[in-house]
Amino acid sequence: MSMNEVVAVIAAILVSPIIGGLVAGLDRKVTARLQGRYGPPILQPFYDVLKLFGKEKMIVNYWQIFCAYMYLVADVLTIILLALQSDLLLIFFVLAVGGVFLVIGALAAESPYSQIGAQRELIQMLTYEPLLILVFVGIYLETGSFKISEIIANYNQPLLLSLPLLFVVMGYALVIKLKKSPFDIATSHHAHQEIVKGVLTEYSGPYLAIIEISHWYETVFLLGLCALFWHTSFVWMAVLVVATYFGEVLVDNVCARLTWRWMLPHAWTGGLIMAFANYFWIYEKIG
Amino acid sequence: MLDELIGISILLPFIAGTLCFLVKDHRVRAGIIVATGIALTIDSLLLFQGLSGSYSYTPESLLGIDINSLITFADFALLFIILAIAFKLGNPLIILLTLLQIVPLGYFELKMAHHVEVTPAFYIDSLSVIMNLIISIVGSLICIFGIRYMEEHEHHLHLKKSRQPRFFFFLVLFLGAMNGLVFANNLLWLYFFWEVTTFCSFMLIGHDRTEIAIRNATRALWMNMSGGVAFVAAIILIFHTTGSVEYLSLQTLINHGPALTSALLLPFSLLCFSGFTKAAQVPFQSWLCGAMVAPTPVSALLHSSTMVKAGVYLVVRLAPGYQGTFLSTMVATFGAFTFLTASALAVNMSNGKKILAYSTIANLGLIIACAGINTPAAIIAAVLLIIFHAISKGLLFLCVGTIEHAIGSRDIEDMRGLYNSMPAVSRITIIGILTMMLPPFGALMSKWMAIEAAAHIPWVVVMVALGSGLTVLFWARWAGLFVSGPHLKVFEADKDSGLLGPFVTMFKGFATKVKWNAPASIKVPMVSLAVGAIVLSLAVPWLYTTLVDPVLSSYRPGVFVEPFRTGPLGITSGTGAFYVLPVFLFSILGYIVAVAAVKRKGHRVISAPYMCGEQYADCAQPKFRSHLNSWKDYIAANIYMQDIIGEEKISYWINIVSLVILIVLFGEVLR
Repeated sequence: MSMNEVVAVIAAILVSPIIGGLVAGLDRKVTARLQGRYGPPILQPFYDVLKLFGKEKMIVNYWQIFCAYMYLVADVLTIILLALQSDLLLIFFVLAVGGVFLVIGALAAESPYSQIGAQRELIQMLTYEPLLILVFVGIYLETGSFKISEIIANYNQPLLLSLPLLFVVMGYALVIKLKKSPFDIATSHHAHQEIVKGVLTEYSGPYLAIIEISHWYETVFLLGLCALFWHTSFVWMAVLVVATYFGEVLVDNVCARLTWRWMLPHAWTGGLIMAFANYFWIYEKIG
Repeated sequence: MLDELIGISILLPFIAGTLCFLVKDHRVRAGIIVATGIALTIDSLLLFQGLSGSYSYTPESLLGIDINSLITFADFALLFIILAIAFKLGNPLIILLTLLQIVPLGYFELKMAHHVEVTPAFYIDSLSVIMNLIISIVGSLICIFGIRYMEEHEHHLHLKKSRQPRFFFFLVLFLGAMNGLVFANNLLWLYFFWEVTTFCSFMLIGHDRTEIAIRNATRALWMNMSGGVAFVAAIILIFHTTGSVEYLSLQTLINHGPALTSALLLPFSLLCFSGFTKAAQVPFQSWLCGAMVAPTPVSALLHSSTMVKAGVYLVVRLAPGYQGTFLSTMVATFGAFTFLTASALAVNMSNGKKILAYSTIANLGLIIACAGINTPAAIIAAVLLIIFHAISKGLLFLCVGTIEHAIGSRDIEDMRGLYNSMPAVSRITIIGILTMMLPPFGALMSKWMAIEAAAHIPWVVVMVALGSGLTVLFWARWAGLFVSGPHLKVFEADKDSGLLGPFVTMFKGFATKVKWNAPASIKVPMVSLAVGAIVLSLAVPWLYTTLVDPVLSSYRPGVFVEPFRTGPLGITSGTGAFYVLPVFLFSILGYIVAVAAVKRKGHRVISAPYMCGEQYADCAQPKFRSHLNSWKDYIAANIYMQDIIGEEKISYWINIVSLVILIVLFGEVLR
């Protein structure tokens, strides 16, 4: 590993939660303004997590602790692999590890709330995982590599221009992964969506804080994926990332939660049609 | 030296099986089985070590009898036995299918080609060695597991007279037939061993002689016999098209000249079809699902190291022969379709063994899809998947069998919270599940390779992507169910084991004082397979350079370029990289941190699950306060999506679509 890579990894581990937390804070602020409220301070997510760490440790069984930590570990590894610009599919699989442990942790408690949350989380994973794979395959077909490092080195125009439909497909995955309406089915940031907190019901105190931090890592990873679609210019990259996230917040606020029975078929059909259309486009261009 | 090793790996199981049948004392029989297992394991390891490149061997005679005639004789004897069985069952379809093999084969051997001599009779390369290692090691472990399992099984059934001699005869014989199958180069010999595995599986599936067992065994027989008919047809067609027995040698057939490709496409399609039936691909999935009525060692053997693996072995073995043809694309499509639909059916199941069965079918579909994609990377993916699937799936079947004997159910809903009563078995099952689905384990790495290789065929990659999402769903929730439950006092984590703690935890769980009471013949196979699944995943770069990569070079010399490079970090290709070692080390580090967090000293409150404040005070009993202050139990269950993808509902359509794919395949080839 070169010096640059070591620096990148350390920076990714340390800076990601800060960015993730700030994004969460901004998210809450913007959401509040959209709803006509003043909203909490931007640093509120950090205060929340610090407060959670100070709370009493309360569990239903040990597996929850184990799974919370494994969730964090998987998300940190995702960020490290992203910082090392490694294989997109490998990163994706590591990301899935986190999801699996979140679900196992939720299933560990016998509460019907967290059990149903876990089932819903699984269906959400089922919905977005194939979509992300299709996006990565599209990136490969266009650039000839799954490795981020090689994409950045050898591909000299913004991916968004040749993969616009797949970017929309990734948008579906982002909504689900960021727990935004209409796909915040397993658990939601908004109190009005549900009485009990779905997949996170049985997590509390420091363990909930760990999951919150993992979510920050995930947010950064997803924004990183987004950035990959305009890797040629930092300005446009920033514009794209900010615009996408704002779009997500907007969608979050204008939609109500839907059921998985609606989400799964629609996301798959829409995603597949757009993916195929975009593949066809790529083939046309190459051919 | 190698000649003897090959001879032993085929003949020893035949002899040992016969001994098992004759010996009435169960301890002696157990001894024979264990000794055979050890001998086969050593034999396969020696063969692996002794082989460089490839090796051919043509035995002349066995105990003074010409082997060629012996196998021809045995072949017909076997077919006539099956015919007799078919008459006894009164099943006209099987009678027809058997006659469709006897008559053409007789005509071929007596009339068309007199006394077929094919040299070499056996051809051993890396692929054969890999198969041999899987059969000899995983297969033997399963047979050893069977010793104690069958005792308990017969105890449950209250049999007056033990039927174990018969059971172990076929079980051990199976290993010999499989070894013969993967070594054979002469297609007629291959066909003989092919039919022996069909016959053994029929006998083993129907072992319990219940009505359903006989029905399912019959179904398995007719489906596999249809594959046999295709096999015979392929043999005759090859001879007919080429006009020489030379092409009945598998190696010559695969490395045929370009001029013959279109003429040989139909025989190749028939052989692939034969492989599909044996590998229980849709629409033939029902025989493998029905095979679960058999005692667990049978399912474990059929699903992991034998039988279905023979099907995918043939398809993968033939892959260079049909590379770049229409057939190849159709095989990829067919395999990917099976992967997707079988995964969907697995989501629908709550019966643990059925989940395993559909997951097997799905993985075999993926292997076949890889063979159809037919790039070097795809073939590597297929071979790695064969290896890792054999280990993890064998392990999972043993786990479900053990659990079934303990709790009397194979429904995964009944395994809720099983960790509290069977911690060791649950832990091993979870390991088995995780090695099937998560990085950095081998099965997932093969899937990574498969997706990257499939990227060029959009509809295949789409089906693989959707299917792989479905597999995560049914595995994750099953793993989660094991740990679902209240916190018990017994499992108060030992907090004083220091640095060594995490490692102790890996083997003994959080509560090191809870003992696992099981005989060695149950423990050893389960633990070795679990350790094997993890260690081999870690050793993937080594596995790749020593075993899997040579498959390509001995495959079709000079045609394939090396698709992957291995290094200290893992496996990289021109288009991607899978960093096995770093991911593994980081995962272990994470695991240690997580375990340390669990074991950390300090104040911690154990609570009952949240029930809106109305939960019962004792957290070991999940209850809530209902009307009139009464305490009610609550229950949660998985979503099985019965209404969307119910087995009865979609199987019909799956069968139709898969038949259409097969019709298109044959239609285009015939055109």
